[in-house]
Formats: sequence, C-alpha cells, structure tokens
Amino acid sequence: MLSQKLLGRTAVRSAFKPSGSSPIVLASRWSRTYATQSEEKDLVIIGGGVAGYVAAIKAGQEGMKVACIEKRGTLGGTCLNVGCIPSKSLLNNSHLYHQILHDTKHRGIEVGDVKLNLQQLMKAKDTSVNGLTKGVEFLLKKNGVEYIKGTGSFQDEHTIKVELNDGGETSVTGKNILIATGSEVTPFPGLTIDEKTVISSTGAIALEKVPEKLVVIGGGIIGLEMASVWSRLGSKVTVVEYLDQIGGPGMDTEVAKGIQKILKKQGINFKTGTKVLSGEKTGEEVKVQVEAAKGGKEETLDADVVLVAIGRRPYTGGLGLENIGLEVDERGRVIIDSEYRTKIPHIRCVGDATFGPMLAHKAEEEAVAVVEYIKKGYGHVNYGCIPSVMYTFPEVAWVGQSEQDLKKADIPYRVGTFPFSANSRAKTNLDTEGFVKILADPETDRLLGIHIIGPNAGEMIAEGTLALEYGASSEDIARTCHAHPTLSEAFKEAAMATHAKAIHF
Amino acid sequence: MASFAAACRVSARLATRRLQQDVTAKSFRTSAAALAAQNFTMPALSPTMTEGNIASWKIKEGEKFQAGDVLLEIETDKATMDVEAQEDGIMMKIMHGDGSKSVQVGTRIAVVAEEGDDISALEIPAGEVSAQPAKAAEAPDTHTPAPPNPSEPAEPPKSDATPKAAVKPGHRTSNRTYPLYPSVEHLIKVNGLDKSEVQQITPTGPNGRLLKGDVLAYLGKINADIPAKVESRFEKQSHLDLSNIKVAAAKPAPVEKSAKEAAPAPPPAPVKATVALPVSLSAVIQAQKKINDSLGIFLPLSTFIARATDLANDELPAPKGYQPTADELFNQVLGVDRVRGEAKVSRGAYIPQVGSLSPPGAVLPKPAAASGKKKKDIFDILAASPSPKPKATASKLSPGLSAVGPNVFSLQVPKDEEKRAKVFLERVKLVLENEPGRLVL
Repeated sequence: MLSQKLLGRTAVRSAFKPSGSSPIVLASRWSRTYATQSEEKDLVIIGGGVAGYVAAIKAGQEGMKVACIEKRGTLGGTCLNVGCIPSKSLLNNSHLYHQILHDTKHRGIEVGDVKLNLQQLMKAKDTSVNGLTKGVEFLLKKNGVEYIKGTGSFQDEHTIKVELNDGGETSVTGKNILIATGSEVTPFPGLTIDEKTVISSTGAIALEKVPEKLVVIGGGIIGLEMASVWSRLGSKVTVVEYLDQIGGPGMDTEVAKGIQKILKKQGINFKTGTKVLSGEKTGEEVKVQVEAAKGGKEETLDADVVLVAIGRRPYTGGLGLENIGLEVDERGRVIIDSEYRTKIPHIRCVGDATFGPMLAHKAEEEAVAVVEYIKKGYGHVNYGCIPSVMYTFPEVAWVGQSEQDLKKADIPYRVGTFPFSANSRAKTNLDTEGFVKILADPETDRLLGIHIIGPNAGEMIAEGTLALEYGASSEDIARTCHAHPTLSEAFKEAAMATHAKAIHF
Repeated sequence: MASFAAACRVSARLATRRLQQDVTAKSFRTSAAALAAQNFTMPALSPTMTEGNIASWKIKEGEKFQAGDVLLEIETDKATMDVEAQEDGIMMKIMHGDGSKSVQVGTRIAVVAEEGDDISALEIPAGEVSAQPAKAAEAPDTHTPAPPNPSEPAEPPKSDATPKAAVKPGHRTSNRTYPLYPSVEHLIKVNGLDKSEVQQITPTGPNGRLLKGDVLAYLGKINADIPAKVESRFEKQSHLDLSNIKVAAAKPAPVEKSAKEAAPAPPPAPVKATVALPVSLSAVIQAQKKINDSLGIFLPLSTFIARATDLANDELPAPKGYQPTADELFNQVLGVDRVRGEAKVSRGAYIPQVGSLSPPGAVLPKPAAASGKKKKDIFDILAASPSPKPKATASKLSPGLSAVGPNVFSLQVPKDEEKRAKVFLERVKLVLENEPGRLVL
C-alpha cells in the first residue's frame, strides 16, 4: 500500500519499472544478514527425495526446526528427476506421436507429415521436471526447511557431516535424524552401465537417438514402460524376463497375460522364462546371450542399446552407517522396527532405503507417518492398501491381493470381471482393451483385491483403494452411483458381477 | 439423518434436575441403598417442546448405564434426538415403552437407580410428579451441547433378545455417527432390523465400522466368526513384514568404496569481486534539511539510503547463468507470472556497505558531476570507467556515513554478478545524487 503511494509520486521509480515491493521489506533483508549459524535441529533429513522432502515439509508444518540434505542439486530424488515424472512425460508424448501415426486416421483425422523431434520431446520432459523440482524447493522454503546441498554422512549419533556441493564442509546436529537416501539401479553382473549403449532407467529417459534395436532385460514395470516409449518411437524392442510372467511378481497373472497380449500387438517382443547369460559390447553393438530359464537352447540377441531394468536396491553408500553401528539386512535395507526406528531410536529410516515396496507414494505415506511418530507418538501406513500402476497403454493398476496370492495362501475368494469392450465410454473412445477384475471374500463380500487393465486405470484404482481402505464390500461399490457414460461404470459393473450379476454383460 | 441426530444430541440434564427435586422423598425410606430410586421424566429438548414420542429405549430395564450413554431416542415434530445419561446408574423400570406417542414433557417415563443398588429391594417412588411450570425455566439448559461421547467405550448391552449376535465381551459396539455403508443399510432395511439391534452387531471394519459381513454374521447367514477372521488377515497385511530379518554379514565395504569414488571433487570456491562507487550525499543532506525546515520532520540518512537501495534492486540485469528462483517457477506453474529469466531481469537483494573517506580532499575517481549541480545523463555514469579501485579506497575508508565528504558504497559479490552489482550501485548513486527528496515524499 505504501509502495502504491510512492509509486504515484516517485517519478524516479518509473525509470526502473517498479514492482510494487514496499521499502518496509528492506528491514527484513537487513536482518537476514545477521542470522546466526544453525543451532540444533529437531529433525535432520538425509535425502531430498519423495520420502525426504515430504517429511521435511510435514515436519515444517508441525513447527519443527528441520534441515534437509540433498546431494543431487535438485530436490525430488529419483522420482522427480530420473524416474516417475520424466518417464511419464515421455510415455504421454510418445503415445500421442504413436496415435497420430497409426490411430487417428481411422478416427477421421488425417495428419500430413508426422515427424519426430526427439530433442524437443526431451526438452518438454526437462521443462516438466525442472518446474516440479523447483516447485518442491519453493515448498521447502515456504515451510521453513533449511535445504543443504551436499552429501551427508554420520559423524556421530546426532551429527551429520555435510560435504557441500559448492565446496567446503559443514555439519548439522539434530535431535532426530531421518535416513531417506532411497535406492539405486541394481546393476546386471557382467554388463557395465555406461548410459550410452548399456543403459539404466536413467539413460533410457535421455537417449539422444531412437535405437534401432533395443533389448530390455527385466519385464517389470520400469522395463515395460521404457519398452513402450521406444517401441512407439520406432525401436524394435525385445523384453527378456526371467519369470514366466511380465509385470513383476505383484501383478495378477490374468492381468499380466492380458497386458502382454496387448503390448505384443503393439509390436513389443517378449521372451519370458528366459535367462540372460551374458552381454558383450562390440563397438556400437551389444550382443546378449540368452537361454530358456528351465534349460534350453542358447540364443544371441543383437541390440544397439540394452536397458538393464532388473530392479532397484537400497542406497546407503557413503552414509557412514558403520560409524554409528547401524545395520542393514542382506539386501541392503536399513533395519527398522514398526515405528521406523533403527536400533538407535532417534535415528529413523523410511522410503526405498528400508523395507516394503519401492514406490514413491509408499515413501510419501511413510514420511508423513514417521513425522507423526516423532511429533505425536503415532503414525499410520496401511501396507495392505498401497496401489501399483504401470503406465503403459492401456494402463495397468492394482491394489490389494492378486488371485495367485490368495490361491497360495489358501484363501477362498470370488471373482467379478467386466470388460471395457462392454463399456459405453470405452466404446465411444475406441479404446476397448482391458477389463476390471474384483476379488472379494465369498462370504462377507469384503474386497480383497482390485486389478484393472484399461485406459486411465491409474486414476480408476483410486476408487478401489478407497473402498479397500474402508473395508467395503463389492456390493457397497455396486450400490454407489457412478456417472454415465464413464469408464468408471465398468468398475461398478465388475463389482456387481462379484456379488451378483453385471447388468451390461 | 444419523449425523443430524448426533448433532442434536441433548444431554438429559432434566433428569438430574428431577433427581434433585425428588430428594425430599429420600428421608422416608428405610433402606440405605433405597435412597437412589428416582423418577425420570420426559425432558424438553427445545424451549417450545411440549410433548414428544419415544422412539426407542437404548437401555433396557435392569441394564446399567454410564454417564454419556444414550438412554433413549425421542422423536419430536422437528427431529429425532438422543437423550444421554448425565450420571451412571441402572434402569429400574420403564413406564412408557418404545413407540409411546405424545408423551407430555415432565411426565414420568422411567425410574432409575444408582449403580450398585439392589433393584429388587428398591421401591418405585410414589406417583408421578405432575408436569411443573418450572420446566419452562429449565428448558434453556437443554441447549448446552452434550460432551462428545462416541469415542468412549460403552458397555455392550446384554440383551436376551438377541442370542444370535456373537458379541465379544469388551468389544466395542459404539454409537455410529457416520452413515452406514450402502450394503449395510440395505441389509438392515431388507431384514427389518431396528436400531437397537444394529447397535448390537459387532463391527469388524476399520475404526469399528460396520461391514456387510458383520450384518450377515449377525443374521446368521454366514458363519459368525468369519468377519473377524477376514479382519485379522487384513490387520496382518496392514503392517510391514519385519519378521525374519537377516542382517547382512559383513560390512558393506565395496558399496562404500564405489560411493567414495563417485564423489566428485569439490568445485573451487566461487571467486568474489568487490564493486565500489563513490556517492556524494550532499543532495541528500540538502533534501533532508529542506524537509526538516518545511515539515519539521528529521529523516535520518539511512532512510534515504534504504529506499534508494530498495529502488535500485528492482529488475536488475540477470547475472550470468541465472536460474529462475523457485518462486518464479512456481508462479509459472500456476500461470501467474512469466519466468523472469526470459526477460533477463530479476530483483536483486543487494545491501551496500557504506564507508566514508576520512580526508575530504582525498584523490578519488570522483565523477565529474558529483560536485556540480547540473543534471547528469545516465549514459555518463554507465560509460564511466569500471570499478574505482577498491583497494585504494579501502585503506582510507572508515565505516559509517560522512555528511561532508563523498561516501563509498561497496558490494562484495560473486565474480559473475559483477556487472549486475555495478548497475545497482549506479542506480543508487543516481537516485541519491539527483532527486533524493522524491524518495521520501
């Protein structure tokens, strides 16, 4: 207001294009220079990934003094920088390209010369990533979190030494310390990842040209998403999977078979039940030796690029756990109790660095819960109710138990399915692949698991997750009104099919 | 509806009032415990209420209740409301049972006794006290909100009418204040269960929610222990499996090594540069004097400098390698603002160090216009020779302002911000030397 007044009278100001900030602001800027060096924090977080930054924000909101240490230089960890977010950008845009190239014509839209500008595709991805990581930085600032750019390691039980990215060294002490260092790509023995010809997921979102032949080792979610991207952009993709089904062990077998058929139709080759013996780089090419897992004849696959996507492992290297005597288990996971405490109770660990599925949203839940444990003595994560999504086209999503889980545990169940080919909206969209499958207790009708292949399955699974969280029965879903015409009606009909009969099938 | 009823829940304050009024009767009884049998009369749940229907009694004859338990549900023409017990006690006799219509306010509807009393030994207090005019005065009391009670564990009502219910002792059958699940609602209606029966169903859902399976078990349509079995499976799944942890045998030496190798060499510390510019404050002092003379307000020099600083920080040329700030990007995400980086300007946060030159006549690269009063062109300043040797000035600088001689404004900035800092200082100088009066008027 004052500045507005000044504005009117001060001609000089107009020379510099006034921005309307008041001179009073200046006072605070003066005082900032005299701020004292940091005192003991209530919480020091090592890692600014999804677990770390969410915990930092939450703790800030709870009025704690927080420091968050991150060495990458940008916040958001694997997810925002080289994982979920950039891959979704590529998946979305490559789908658009693929659709214009192969699909819009029979919908009545003829597009002339369609050209791929890979550089621009990557730039669009970088813009999204940059905006989001900076957004997180803003949120930390807004919630009063001290963000330290550097590599943290334990000096003692309360002190973290930080080698600053800008050079120099500092240390922070905290009443509580949270390890949120995340995970890294599991390397494939015998194949050195150079991110050019032998790549990890990090390299797969930053290739400079579309490889002619791409071999993907590992048919899990990451492998299939990247296979989709490059296949749509023109690569000849072969996915090699050791297990008999794709999608990883959590995916329902029926769903895995269904999506494999769909992806195969899209041009991706699959070699399931196949073991990779070795790989050899010869100049520009890589030769991958494979054989059937249960013994069989050997085969050599040629590739310009090999993607290693066999999983991720906890990352605690350089953290100095040995300095304070903290242990990890045989798979490198930091050992915790049910309240995320290590054996030193004020040091806790959440996210990929410890137990449970390596999912960003699981880390996020844990981050909130761990802060609540510290602040209020109780937090909650329902591990039985964490959804998984694979962002191929169509998407695959599930929550709760799969049919094979239930069979293995000898739990009785009832199945209800509904295909999108019988759903009006899917029909009008000409995207009719996939189905909704609901598993429920045969007697109480309580939901046990929900599995979806279909357009936007990742969004639709939210309804299933909510229902599962509330202990709903399939009848509860069926008796809830769903808008017409929407894909979500398929969800309702599948619920009807579970305890009674679907109307439209 | 259920939640509305909960919102309207009124404590049966009247009941206690009545208890006190009836104290007079006590002295006539012989048994010590018999002191406690009291009349419970129809409460007025609103100032205008004269009569109401008794929908149902939640506490049956002979049952104990605790303060906060819902004793009965009363229907008026406006709403259905729960009446809570104010104190612990035993329901001795119900005079007007479920479904009684048009019961006048103040009519005795039940007799209650104190906890521990032997009901059989108690005598029912003599006849009902007729409705008193006092009730109107008491009525407003009923508006005081009842304490929130659903969290408190209520004793499961022992009812011989429902042998099929597998009520676990100590298991909570709480007052459900949330809407029932559609399947539950449906089953209740289809099977004609009334509210008191619903209360007796053991919930197995999250946070004590009543599930379809619970109702089915209550109705005997499925095995009674199945819902609990399913629930225990869910309970197990809701936790991380932290059993059978196998501690890694050796310390993870190789991991550490590779991490150390990967650690990049610390980049060299950023080079600092000093930018300084002499500024004459004579114009400022004149303005200060003028303001003091005409308005009688003395403004310290620091005010002028602070405002000039603020002004000069606006939209400075972006430093080399400028990255848009988080706020700017966030604004861009929200579509509020353009990224300033594109326009190559951003707001600075410089605060100059001010020092005076002790010998007023010191040889300084004094700008020609500093002493003169003639209007200066900004291009003169912009084209002026670069940074006036900080070393030379530094030796003679004394901190603080000098009203007489020229003062040197200096800044310590990273090397790549040198140009930006210079522009800043030149702006400060321009403003202070030319029209300082406008800064404060």
